[in-house]
Amino acid sequence: MQIEILNLAKLYDQKRGLAPISFEVSKGELIAIIGHNGAGKSTLLKMLANWIVPDGGTATIDGIDLKNRIAVVRKVGFIPEEPNLFDFFSVEYNLKLFAALSQTPLTRVEEILGEFDLVSFRMCKVQSLSKGLKQRVNIGRALLADPPVLLLDEPTSGLDFEMTREIYRLLRAMHGAGKTILFTSHRPEEIKSLATRIMVLHQGSLVFDGYPDEYFQSDIHEKLYA
Amino acid sequence: MMMKNILVLAFNDLAIAFRNKTFFLILFIPLFVFVSLDLVDGTRTEAGRVRIGLVQGHAYPSGITGNVNAADKLVEVAWVQNEAEGVRLLKEHKIDGMLAGDQRTPGGLALLVLKKDALRTIAIVQDFSALQKTAEGNNPDWITDIRSLHQGGVQRETLPTWILMLVLLIGFIILPAQVAEEKEKKLLIALLQTPIHEAQWLIAKLILGMVLIITAVLFLHLLGGFGPVHLPGYIAFIVAGSYCFSAYGIFLGFLCRSQASARTLGVIFYLPHLLPSAMSDVSQKLTSIAPLLPSYQLYEPLQSILLEGGRLADMTFDWVYLLLLGSVMFFLSYLLMKRRWLM
Repeated sequence: MQIEILNLAKLYDQKRGLAPISFEVSKGELIAIIGHNGAGKSTLLKMLANWIVPDGGTATIDGIDLKNRIAVVRKVGFIPEEPNLFDFFSVEYNLKLFAALSQTPLTRVEEILGEFDLVSFRMCKVQSLSKGLKQRVNIGRALLADPPVLLLDEPTSGLDFEMTREIYRLLRAMHGAGKTILFTSHRPEEIKSLATRIMVLHQGSLVFDGYPDEYFQSDIHEKLYA
Repeated sequence: MMMKNILVLAFNDLAIAFRNKTFFLILFIPLFVFVSLDLVDGTRTEAGRVRIGLVQGHAYPSGITGNVNAADKLVEVAWVQNEAEGVRLLKEHKIDGMLAGDQRTPGGLALLVLKKDALRTIAIVQDFSALQKTAEGNNPDWITDIRSLHQGGVQRETLPTWILMLVLLIGFIILPAQVAEEKEKKLLIALLQTPIHEAQWLIAKLILGMVLIITAVLFLHLLGGFGPVHLPGYIAFIVAGSYCFSAYGIFLGFLCRSQASARTLGVIFYLPHLLPSAMSDVSQKLTSIAPLLPSYQLYEPLQSILLEGGRLADMTFDWVYLLLLGSVMFFLSYLLMKRRWLM
């Protein structure tokens, strides 16, 4: 198993958060994590990305314990909902900065600029880009070090139809390249044809874990989204 | 409708100011100014006795030796073995001035003080003038010369205060806001998605603070041309001070979720660290409070090096104190960063 999670938990204010959760992820899976706001989707991904410290439980990625942050971040690329780039610098500067810190050759920046159609925007300040373009830079940055696991938190949030399709195209391409991907979404119908597995979080607990067909045939979808 | 909108927006702005703790400044600054002024104004009424050093064996006019003991509400006499001991006590703020023979005016007395234009100096001259009138009427003044221990004129005398201001401004206002901004915009957490160590980020921020402070001080010297100083000691204290207050500022940044909060907290720390140290010369009470503040451990040695020819070897405590405090702040920031505090 590429990702093994055992009783991972995070509690905010004694109420919200994520109850102890356990599951495993095989290499090459494309998992959609769905659920309402506050269900614990982002919390789960942020714990795996080392953004927040779990209150309990353990998790390993490629056998590396989550607590070993420096080793884990080489395995995981995290794309948050809101692009967190140095807005006042150019696209190229941002990519070069993170490439340097990730000990990635600068030639990789050129590859990313090309792969994500960002060549013509390379000298543009990030703050001048649309949200869709910022998200492309954000995804490109996460892929600089070519991590085997990608975590995307609401990657299509706030994007128009065209941009959402573009992001899904990128997700398919990355999945095709052998990446293991976990992403969160509010919109289960949109990920029907995309995910190989669906996990449903509700009020901090895992209430469904299975194939997309099973999910859409189950009454959970009806209960949650009726 | 327009008025209603304005009121709603104004209420919203007030709520934001409250949320960002900006409101605390409205209470804190007047309170701080009130307390500071009270301490300064109280000097002559409550701590009005001047402490004067007299050299044993020197032939003082009988009017002095005969009357200073009687005027013990105004003057407290400390007998010193020689002038060197008096200078030492003066530097240690244990006496306010010393009366010794004036080499340029036979029979006259030279008053040696830290600063010529300080309130304590005026108080000494006033008190001795009153004593003289009581004892001898309109005879020539006892004090024929006033000598300052501080060298270099008024511009140089204010230099330690300006340097302290620069160090604290960068440490308490600029750095916390920058740290909080990186947290607020999730930039710090993005950087931690790369295989850098938390300590590396902290050291980089320390270097930023130190470079800003040292550049500002260098620029100030280039503009002012303040003349030669004892360089090793001066450099050591600028480096130690910039290290300490940069680490302090980074720690403050970690206590805040937003830039606005960091600025408020910065001001709350900036003023108490700046004013008592910079104003300690004009108030006995502030002189006793100031050493409790870390900023004084920078201000006092700078003053000594810049104005009194002080040496690094005599200031080991202050130097070690600044380095230790900076290291404690660095460690606390590291712990908060590890816990992803308010990130």
